[in-house]
Amino acid sequence: MAPALCANCKTERALIKRPKNHAKLCKGCFIKLFEDEVHHTITSSQLFYPGEKVAIGASGGKDSTVLASVLKTLNERHGYGLELVLLSIDEGIKGYRDDSLETVKRNAVQYGMPLKVVGYDELYGWTMDQVVEAIGKKGNCTYCGVFRRQALDRGAKMLGIKHVVTGHNADDVAETVLMNLLRGDLARLSRSTSIVTGDSRSEVKRSKPLKYAYEKEIVLYAHYKKLDYFSTECIYSPEAFRGSARGLVKQLERIRPTAILDIVRSGEDMARLVPGETSSSCACKGQTSAVMALAEDDIGGCGSQTGRARGDEMAAMDKQLRENEAHEGLEIDVAKAMAKNQKDGGQKHRELPLRSGDGPSKGFARQVLRNCKRCGYMSSQEICQACMLLEGLNKNRAQIQI
Amino acid sequence: MEAEPVVAGSLTRPCVKCHAQEATLDSRSQPVCRDCFTKFIATKCIKQIGILGKETRPPPSATGSGPAQGTRRYLLGLSLGVSSTVLLHLLNENVEFQLARGRNAPFDLVVVHIDHTQPTTTPTPPSTGPHQPNPTTTTPASRALDPYRRRYPRFTFHCIPPLPSHPYHPAAPHLDSLNSSSSSSSSSSSSSAAASAAASRTDIRRLLTRRALLAAARAHGCQALLLGHSTTALAELTLAEAAKGRGFALPWLVRDGPAGVAVGGSGGGSEESGRAEESGNEANEVPVLVYHPLRDALRKELVTYADLVGIADLVADRHPSHQGNGNRNGTANGTANGPAAVVSHRDLSIEDVMARYFADVEENYPSVVANVARTTGKLVRLEDAGGGRCGLCGLPLDEGGDERWRGELGLGAPARIGNGERESRLCYGCERSTAG
Repeated sequence: MAPALCANCKTERALIKRPKNHAKLCKGCFIKLFEDEVHHTITSSQLFYPGEKVAIGASGGKDSTVLASVLKTLNERHGYGLELVLLSIDEGIKGYRDDSLETVKRNAVQYGMPLKVVGYDELYGWTMDQVVEAIGKKGNCTYCGVFRRQALDRGAKMLGIKHVVTGHNADDVAETVLMNLLRGDLARLSRSTSIVTGDSRSEVKRSKPLKYAYEKEIVLYAHYKKLDYFSTECIYSPEAFRGSARGLVKQLERIRPTAILDIVRSGEDMARLVPGETSSSCACKGQTSAVMALAEDDIGGCGSQTGRARGDEMAAMDKQLRENEAHEGLEIDVAKAMAKNQKDGGQKHRELPLRSGDGPSKGFARQVLRNCKRCGYMSSQEICQACMLLEGLNKNRAQIQI
Repeated sequence: MEAEPVVAGSLTRPCVKCHAQEATLDSRSQPVCRDCFTKFIATKCIKQIGILGKETRPPPSATGSGPAQGTRRYLLGLSLGVSSTVLLHLLNENVEFQLARGRNAPFDLVVVHIDHTQPTTTPTPPSTGPHQPNPTTTTPASRALDPYRRRYPRFTFHCIPPLPSHPYHPAAPHLDSLNSSSSSSSSSSSSSAAASAAASRTDIRRLLTRRALLAAARAHGCQALLLGHSTTALAELTLAEAAKGRGFALPWLVRDGPAGVAVGGSGGGSEESGRAEESGNEANEVPVLVYHPLRDALRKELVTYADLVGIADLVADRHPSHQGNGNRNGTANGTANGPAAVVSHRDLSIEDVMARYFADVEENYPSVVANVARTTGKLVRLEDAGGGRCGLCGLPLDEGGDERWRGELGLGAPARIGNGERESRLCYGCERSTAG
């Protein structure tokens, strides 16, 4: 049997079956197509402007390494005129970051990009190891995630940069869509799929140019480009809805490879169906509209999660919901009851008899963007999540010291 | 869930609801007795039926077409699974209860099972109506209906094939394979293709079942189609449709209300409905409503209920559509045999994956399941998103979304099926399922 030829160039021998659509490609064509697709994402969403200073959130992992490599390539090939900088966060986890930071340092040399490393200790006065010591292994990923998101912004600010790109891929986005469906969190669902997060009011905007790239293809790209990346699981392994959703995404991908993009598509469409949400998630039309996601709500987690674990978070939510149900019968939404009397439209009737407590009328007060009173980071609350978490941590530390 | 021995005179674990009987069951983490449990399930159902009753209150004056004046008329999609069987049982109880009190029956009920083992191309003279039971054809499914007929003589039962294939129907080749290969070992050699094919087959079968039920509802002059989806089934449906790229259509599929589907359907069994659709003349018809009266009950509760009221034996788990690769009779949901221990992902459909997943979640975090279904119910239906209906699932097309998506991914023109006047477009999800 003659070896299969590349479906694209039809001259080279096909070596790669694309995870995304099972197209058989040669190495060169795969790399070219992968880069072209990222280029298309960038241009169709108008992510950058010429001369823009952009920080690449670099963890040393495959996603951010591929992102740095692709952006460097595309910046040169298509003349984006970008000034690219690597920005790394040191969470202060011994044995985890030490090695990956070395990788980032090598990347900085390989790609000829300046590198800035920001530590949790200098930003918050706590390393992750200290946090874990204080609160234990459960739930510390919340801290890590919240701190990291701000850390990138703060680091970017230090460098005078207003745009941070992250290596979130299509798998991550699909996972977030399913996770928010499972959590019943429509507000986050409506924001999680946008490619750009943060609006004109925030000082730093975020984007994810690899939003449509499959994780498996990112791995292949890194492999065939012989990229230098560091792969390890975070040693404080998480347990969360996200893990549950991740497992589901992987199973679906096995059955139908397009499922990942299909979920992303569904997520984008559903964003428009959330009550009170009128605009599309398309970043090319609405750059200045307020629909762009709060960076705070951006995709969380470490991106290195295993997916089998699930536990406390789901159990806690189940308990919470059950309690809500138990209290439901005792609550009467007076405003709603009055509104019900006013309109006698037959169509409304079917929505009314149930759940006076948690009906849609209440759930979708749009969040108002403001800035944290303590650190100035954009937040929907008076005090941002990071400052809230820090307050708790510091309280406990004070007690321990006494 | 075992009965505990009753200590003479006193109750070791009284039911939290009636305090009069020994609790033998756990319902939503509360100990309850058998009677209170069955009442609890019945109440969940009757509440929804009551809501539907208000929606379908007969007009004061005759309208000419449709049901006889003053009578509500519903069609129940019976998959022969647990959920739809329980729904049938509860509806029967409701009718009996009303009759026993000397009232009129609250509604007429037509029960329809869509039998995918029957050939779809059987020409049926329109004069006799396509939905008359054909005494000459005895498929396993039609035989499986016999115990139902004996048990619920009050209702009429029909076993009908899915809609005859549209001449340009993209699903036609899939249907053939769908009928011929319930054992998937015979399917194609490439494992990835086989996996996709199984997922697509199940998806298309589910869509066609739904359309056939809606067409039957229209043909029988029913105001509403009742489906047996439990809370769990609706949560599965939500995630499965999201995974198939039908996020846009979810509000039509999960919420109660008018069917988003163009009911006439391509080749909907009757010439008139076909013509009505072609001329876009369906606006003046009252849309068929789709209701899920069991939307507040978990699947495991329905399984328990079926055991308690002694209808578990009716559930035809040996029926072909409940066998092997777990292809369920999509729309009217519910299988007795929960997720089976299938090993190969080749044979799994997206629905199967979700069923396995939620069986697990339902066991440990039932409120999370309920929350998924409830949350999806809050999504709004975008009535006019660029016009047109999908040629396969019949739901509204999302012109704006398609446009944006093509722009973002740099894709070419949308797929079209057929040609000339009959040409119709597919929605994103159906494009996926017909692609390969």
